[in-house]
Amino acid sequence: MTIRNTLHDHGQRYRPRMACIKKAEKVLLEMQDPKTGVKSQPQRLVITTIPHAITGEDIITWLADRFQVDTQEARTFGSMLVALGYIYPLQDHKRLVIKPDVSLYRFQTPYFWPTQQWPVEDTDYAIYLAKRNIRKKGILEPHEQEHYNRLHKWMNHKWDFIVMQAKEQYRAAKERKKPDRVVFDCQERAYWVVHRPPPGTVSAMDYGLDRLTDPNADEAKTPDVYERIMIFTQQAIMRPRVKSSVSISALVKYCATYRSHDPFLSKCLPSNPWLTDDATYWTLNMPNVEIPTKMRVERWTFSFAELLSDPRGRDDFRLFLKKEFSGENLAFWEGCEDLKWGEAATMSEKAEHIYKTFLARGAPRWINIDGKTMEITVKGLKHPHRYVLDPAQTHIYMLMKKDSYGRYQKSPVFKDTVKKAICPEEHQFSDAQLGQNAKKRWPSLSPIILRQMEQEQKAKMAANVDITQLCRFTTPVPHLVVYSGLTDFPTANASPSLPFLAHTPACPSPISVALESTSASERRAEASGGEGEGDPAARAPVGGNVSKSRMALSLRRLLKRGCTPASMFASLSPKCHSATGTSSRIQPISPDQPSQAPPRRIGNFFQIKVDIPPECRIYPIESEDEVHESRAASRGGVGAKEIICPWESLTPQNGTG
Amino acid sequence: MPLVNNKVGDECTVGTDKALADGKALVGSLIKVVACYRHLASCVGGCTDSLQLRDELRQTREKAQMLAVSICSHLTSHLRNKCLLEGQRKEMELLWVAFSSSLELLHVDMCKVFHVAEIFSLANTDTLVQTGLQGGGSEVAARALSLPDLNRAQSPTLPAGLESQERSTMEQEISRIYHMIDDMEMKVNVMRWMVEPHGPQYADPLSSTDSASLALVSVDEEQPGHQPLCQRSQIFVLLLMFAVVLVAATLSVCIVFFS
Repeated sequence: MTIRNTLHDHGQRYRPRMACIKKAEKVLLEMQDPKTGVKSQPQRLVITTIPHAITGEDIITWLADRFQVDTQEARTFGSMLVALGYIYPLQDHKRLVIKPDVSLYRFQTPYFWPTQQWPVEDTDYAIYLAKRNIRKKGILEPHEQEHYNRLHKWMNHKWDFIVMQAKEQYRAAKERKKPDRVVFDCQERAYWVVHRPPPGTVSAMDYGLDRLTDPNADEAKTPDVYERIMIFTQQAIMRPRVKSSVSISALVKYCATYRSHDPFLSKCLPSNPWLTDDATYWTLNMPNVEIPTKMRVERWTFSFAELLSDPRGRDDFRLFLKKEFSGENLAFWEGCEDLKWGEAATMSEKAEHIYKTFLARGAPRWINIDGKTMEITVKGLKHPHRYVLDPAQTHIYMLMKKDSYGRYQKSPVFKDTVKKAICPEEHQFSDAQLGQNAKKRWPSLSPIILRQMEQEQKAKMAANVDITQLCRFTTPVPHLVVYSGLTDFPTANASPSLPFLAHTPACPSPISVALESTSASERRAEASGGEGEGDPAARAPVGGNVSKSRMALSLRRLLKRGCTPASMFASLSPKCHSATGTSSRIQPISPDQPSQAPPRRIGNFFQIKVDIPPECRIYPIESEDEVHESRAASRGGVGAKEIICPWESLTPQNGTG
Repeated sequence: MPLVNNKVGDECTVGTDKALADGKALVGSLIKVVACYRHLASCVGGCTDSLQLRDELRQTREKAQMLAVSICSHLTSHLRNKCLLEGQRKEMELLWVAFSSSLELLHVDMCKVFHVAEIFSLANTDTLVQTGLQGGGSEVAARALSLPDLNRAQSPTLPAGLESQERSTMEQEISRIYHMIDDMEMKVNVMRWMVEPHGPQYADPLSSTDSASLALVSVDEEQPGHQPLCQRSQIFVLLLMFAVVLVAATLSVCIVFFS
């Protein structure tokens, strides 16, 4: 079909610009000059002689003279001209190279030159093959035969035309004199060798993907074009500028740091697999290897981003955070990454999940971000999109970078890793061994299998989340889906990862449990507070009566307000009043709550569906009830057994905004 | 068609039979002219490029356009004619497809000639590509124009200044063909996937003697030193063998005679 619908055509059908074509044409024209061009000689055939045959060495000498280059480069240039189809070989017509001897070539007629504008049509190819078949039946090569059959299938409607046109062209050719006929046949054959190369050869006309715009079309100077130019230049002006000394010194610093790690600039231990065909380097640096190499571990110290981007480094860091009981930061960060880069279909569920696990009041793995960020995030979560958690993620990232990263580098976990890291020796392969290595190459695991393995790993990770971070009471029943996959809880009691819980009796006194959990979470909260942690932490291991009354008070407040323990302690601890930046109290999101008479305001410690055994319920010190706190407690009323995401339906019972 | 009485139907079919034959003849000649045009176009820019060639191209082009216009009107009117039998409609559609394909080929060839003529101006013959051709395309043009022989005396004496005028005429012609193609598609709806060809997949080989010589020459080119099938060498070998046999016979006779 020849209708060109330029208005709504979004198809990619234009070949990209091949700049070499125009340049090659100019060179060809120069070569024709009778005085300064390439010298030609007649080609002697049995019946006749045909003029204008040139030898390979003549071409190469001419090119070397004209462009003042050495013979090797002239030869490459000449081969390029042959490969593009400007010159064709008379002997050995299928190999499109220039041979630096007396083998003969001829110039291709301009009609058959490769052009930018007109792509090679299959119709013409079909006609050509049909013509060849007229000349002698069965002369088509196997790949040509295949092409012919395929074209017969796809252009079936035109086939009568093709056969007729082939016959007419054949008859018209017969009108010409024999040498001209021979020349024309050679020209056509050469043209099709270039544009429909035989299998196993590489075509110089390969160009990759088709483009949307026609490179030959002149861009019309519409207002749109100028508007685009204006926007581009405006944005260029608005870019932040940095002093060159600063940017250059940053570049220099980067080069100096990474110089010994670059496989081009320095040795790759044990050996570069691309050079020696020995894959040890890759096996030693697999993402989930047990023992990393020294170079890899060194890279982790360069920056926090390096540490996080290396899966092995991230594992190490996770282990460290587990020991420090601040793993939820990293878990939140990973959740945000998953949201950002994951599938769109599951996006809102993921966002909800993350909110329930990390951000909501009383979430099992609550992270500590400042009030403003929390407000922005929660507001954004009403209409979740991929980047809704970006501010919170950045905040947590900086938190980890400024605080945990430094401590990680001084921690025994890291020091242990450094000690265990291996430094492989350099390979010394002889030539024979290199040859053998080349023979023993084999393909690596299919990406499908790798992906499956990755997903299994992720599932395992999610299942084994650190239960030490959770209070027993906050642990919901297995049927509630929480990020941490707490179906493991019944077994968790026996797991070694819960050292302190194991020491407590089966149904520990709620206060002590709360104490320990809150102390843990308090330590979390204080992680950013720096020195503030010293004091409250000191309280925790004691658990003595001295602090019990204070604990009780705080617990009551906890109950009533449903605030997280961290903020509770923040308000209690004198030191923390100063450190308002990171541990400020979270503003209540919904100011007004319908008051309800809470008959069992006790049971909902963190407003989660909890199957709390009655004897373990927290007994508030009800005698010290304050009026306002009772009203506040209604917020954490009976009906609100679940953590409700702010964007879910607001029924009067649920009441949380 | 049920509402048409037989008499009218017969007239319709008779008329369209003749129209079909006419159409086939016209399309056949258009295909011939397009094939000749392609041969001529392949010479442009080469060492045989001359005013004569350009003139021949122009004449062939004009003939092709004349044919195209007449076929266009002919086929369009008949295809829009409602009272066509199924078989006849299919034939018409086949003709239509052949016509549109020829037009496309003609359009591409014309564009290429236009483009090449831009690069190779006849004023400067130094840059004409040495393609190895020796003869012009006169015989081919004669075939295209269905003339027994192109009158050489008519070689044009166009001054070079008219080249630009020729270029502009050519541009117009190209755009006219392009619009014709567009119009065709608008006016008549021929579904190409419904069109079935009659002919064979392979074109039958035409006269065999000529083909052998052509194959001969191309084989020669492959192996310039090796001439297995050359008629001359065959005759030579035969003569040699004959001479050897003769000598052997003479010798044996001599031996017999003298022994």
